[in-house]
Amino acid sequence: MEKRNLTGCVAILRIEDVSKEYVAQGQRVVALDAVSLEMAPGEFFALVGRSGCGKSTLLNLAGAMDFPTRGTVRIAGQDTGRLDDAGLTGLRRQQVGFIFQNFQLLPTLTVAENVELPLLLAGLRPAPARARAIESLAWVELDGYENRMPHQLSGGQMQRVAIARALVHRPRLLLADEPIGNLDTATGNLILDLLRRAARDFSAAVLMATHSPDSTRVTDRVVEMRDGRIQ
Amino acid sequence: MSALFARLILRPLWADRGRTMVTLASIALGVAVIFAMDLAGEAAAGSFRSSMETVSGGEDIEILSTGGLPADLLGRLSGLPYPLRYSPRIEDFAIVNEKRTVPLFGVDVFANALELAEAGNRAEPKLTEAGQRGVFTTAGLGRRGESIRLQVNDEAHDFTILGTIDSRQVSGDLVLLDLEDADLVTGRQGKIDRILVTLPETEKAAVDQWAERLRQGMPEGITVRPVGARKEENRKMLAAFRWNLRVLSYIALLVGAFLIYNTISVSVVRRRAEIGIVRAVGGTGRLMVAGFLAEALFFGLAGGLLGLALGRILAEGAVKLVGLTVTALYVSSTAAPVEFAWSAAAVSLGSGVLVSLLAALAPALEAGRIPPTEAMARGRVDTQLQAAAGRQLAYAGALLGLSWALSLLPPWGGKPMGGYVATLALVGAASFTAPSLVAFVGRRMTGWAGVEALLAGRSLAGALRRSSVLVAALATAIAMMTSVGIMVGSFRETMLTWIDRQIRADFYLRPAGEAAMDRHPTISEDVARRIEQIPGVLAVDRFRAYSIRYNGLPVILAAGDVQAQMRYGRTSLQKGDNADAVRGMLAGEAVIVSEPFGEKHGVKVGDRITVPLGQARPSFRVAGIFLDYSSENGYIILDQSVARRYLPADEPSNLAIYADEKADRAALRARIEASYAPRRIALFENRSLRNEAVRIFDQTFAVTYALEAVAIFVAVMGVAGAMLALIIDRRREIGLLRFLGGAAGQVRRMVLFEAGLIGLFSQLLGVLSGALLSLVLIFVINKQSFGWTIEFHLPVLALLSALAFVLLATILAGLYPARMATRLNPIEVMHEE
Repeated sequence: MEKRNLTGCVAILRIEDVSKEYVAQGQRVVALDAVSLEMAPGEFFALVGRSGCGKSTLLNLAGAMDFPTRGTVRIAGQDTGRLDDAGLTGLRRQQVGFIFQNFQLLPTLTVAENVELPLLLAGLRPAPARARAIESLAWVELDGYENRMPHQLSGGQMQRVAIARALVHRPRLLLADEPIGNLDTATGNLILDLLRRAARDFSAAVLMATHSPDSTRVTDRVVEMRDGRIQ
Repeated sequence: MSALFARLILRPLWADRGRTMVTLASIALGVAVIFAMDLAGEAAAGSFRSSMETVSGGEDIEILSTGGLPADLLGRLSGLPYPLRYSPRIEDFAIVNEKRTVPLFGVDVFANALELAEAGNRAEPKLTEAGQRGVFTTAGLGRRGESIRLQVNDEAHDFTILGTIDSRQVSGDLVLLDLEDADLVTGRQGKIDRILVTLPETEKAAVDQWAERLRQGMPEGITVRPVGARKEENRKMLAAFRWNLRVLSYIALLVGAFLIYNTISVSVVRRRAEIGIVRAVGGTGRLMVAGFLAEALFFGLAGGLLGLALGRILAEGAVKLVGLTVTALYVSSTAAPVEFAWSAAAVSLGSGVLVSLLAALAPALEAGRIPPTEAMARGRVDTQLQAAAGRQLAYAGALLGLSWALSLLPPWGGKPMGGYVATLALVGAASFTAPSLVAFVGRRMTGWAGVEALLAGRSLAGALRRSSVLVAALATAIAMMTSVGIMVGSFRETMLTWIDRQIRADFYLRPAGEAAMDRHPTISEDVARRIEQIPGVLAVDRFRAYSIRYNGLPVILAAGDVQAQMRYGRTSLQKGDNADAVRGMLAGEAVIVSEPFGEKHGVKVGDRITVPLGQARPSFRVAGIFLDYSSENGYIILDQSVARRYLPADEPSNLAIYADEKADRAALRARIEASYAPRRIALFENRSLRNEAVRIFDQTFAVTYALEAVAIFVAVMGVAGAMLALIIDRRREIGLLRFLGGAAGQVRRMVLFEAGLIGLFSQLLGVLSGALLSLVLIFVINKQSFGWTIEFHLPVLALLSALAFVLLATILAGLYPARMATRLNPIEVMHEE
């Protein structure tokens, strides 16, 4: 029986007492220390804290890119610790979308090809993949930009393409790592609005790591981290 | 300056050790092949010497004649009032204990300058002890007191080794026996092959004058010349062969040049930010150029030195391969030990350094042009290259036109220089086409071919600078493989067609043993007569060959039964009228010559040529030119009746037997074999002679296959190295794919697709340019170097197998980079700065 949160919704992300340790140059480093977090569909959380406080590590665990040393991470009810590489890949394909600070568009692909990439990687045929990519681009208001190359876009446009790509497979969990870190304030605000809309329109849980206190104004909750712990 | 070099150049090279090693290895292999082939070629043409030159002495002048010198000539010479020493010689070959063929010399043992290895042998040996004949041999053939079986012509003789010869005096193994014994076993019937003349120490400088003085009063068919002439003839004879071998040996280095270009240009792209910073803090553009050229110099020198060491090792194998070709096509040769030649080392190392510097020039100049403080993105450079692809296509077209124009040029200094430059222009054209091809196909790859193909194609088109250079490198190697494959295949097919047309007799006989161009052992005339008496035998065509010199080059003069040839063999001429040729040859006023002879000596139908025959030097009209693929030196053919006029007692070297169609072949063969037993004669049926010719042909071209294999290996190795570099540079993209839901298998397939696409693009360009190159090789370089007319044939199956192998090798070269790609930690690479 899937656990429900306080609002009665099934949690899309449930992080329970998770720790992450690794060894760097012979030293044990605790990146996360007994962290717990739960997100329901449609929720928009901001993860704030200084560099090195564990935000990115938490995002990676939440995105099924890494395993915790202790504790459990459940995405849509699936314990990532029980999945092999193929299982994690499958989970990401269906449930998770990523947005990065420096956009991470493939420079050799057109805008539409960048957006449809997760669908093609998931095995969808090119025609439906392209249709959904165009739809997703329209949602970020980039109709007509399908055949442009990334280097022909502004920073804000590139991040909108990245959002369209992250949402193209309708993930239930959207993870954004400093999505406005490379943008000016006005463009950053546009991107934040888009993320807010994504949570609303697609009922996606949006977890955003950010340095900027201003960016927390559109979120439902601010999760503050320090030295690998949630405050 | 040296600190800067260490920090900016050596440190990054060390950091990228894998690719540095691959680049070094490619230059090392390129230099090694050049060095090895040069050492082997030098051995074949120079210090290698003809087997007949192997017995060294202090002689100054040689006297020789086609078919041998008359026995009384020595007496006449001795009677002259000159202070000269004459050493008569019989020269032949013997098969030792039914295994190896070695030179056999009949000399005046007691007057010979050779020293025997064992001190005890200095005592006068008795050559006829207790009814058994004695010989001297090199230590490799046996020990004193042992018995040795020598097959000379078609008969075997048993001898006892009386002593061994000091091997330091000679090159390779040999057998020495007394002149009288040699006369007996070779059937010279009193004739001598050479008389060597030793001048007094005071007259050594006047060797030409003495040769002229001895020439006075000699019959005009007799040649008197300084001893060194034959060595020079061999060098001239092998010049075209060596030159083409040398050109072929540069292919691997040419492929290596692309890899140097790739390495340096990747260095420039990767260190663009560094370059910008160094320029901003005061570094000049010239410093940048010098820095990257120094990197190339490092590759050239370090790779070159490694190559010299490797080349010295490879030369041992190469000398065997080259020796096989030389023996099959030109002259019996004995492999001398390979020696490290400083001049060859300097040329090979210099080539490595020069090619490295030239290959690095363009990227180094580009590094010098980067404006200070500007650290441009890689994408922009590749975009510039994509924009330039159209212009490069125009260069390709221009080079194609240039190569066509160059291939029309006549030989320059006897060498097909126009043809060589045309091949370079074609390679250049293919290389300039590579960016357009990669960009065009890569950009048109869609998701329909699978997401891996889409990503692979786009990645190659996106990293055009390096991918197109890789394609150009591999395409060059494939083009060479294809062109040489087509050329050799065409040659083989042409030769087979020629054999089928030319070789119409049912049985062929020659003395047993390995055939060589300058060995003409004979079959007893009695055998020929006995075979003529066998019912079912229509005709026996006697063929007698002699190695002669024409215009300072070795040529084979041969006498045959023109009537039998024309009646049964259906020889047809390439130029000239058949009936006129037969009439002229039977009348003794005409000869026919082979195509290579005509090309090499500029002889046309209707010209007159003078040839040394016995003691005469008659002149003949050239009545026709016939196709021949058995000798590069060329043939002059006359009728046996004419030959007998000048050389009456000579026995045939080969017999061609024409049989009645109705005769039982097996029974006929048995009767023929019985007719010559126990003589050591090899009998070939039509089909087996054809197979024997193919075997010798394939053996002859083994060396070209070996050179191609090295070039392909260098290119495939370069693909592996460059793919690895590409993976390292694109690690963030690969990490991103994993974030976007890409499975490890998809990443692996994408990398393998990239390797496969590089292979496919290279094959496309390589095969197209290779086909064009083959035309230059067949119709320009071959024709101008060797004089053979080769019909164009496409060895489809052989080519397809070779290409499939190269494609597979290229994909396999992507396996390790693919494994690396799947092992990257996506989190780490995505968060790298």
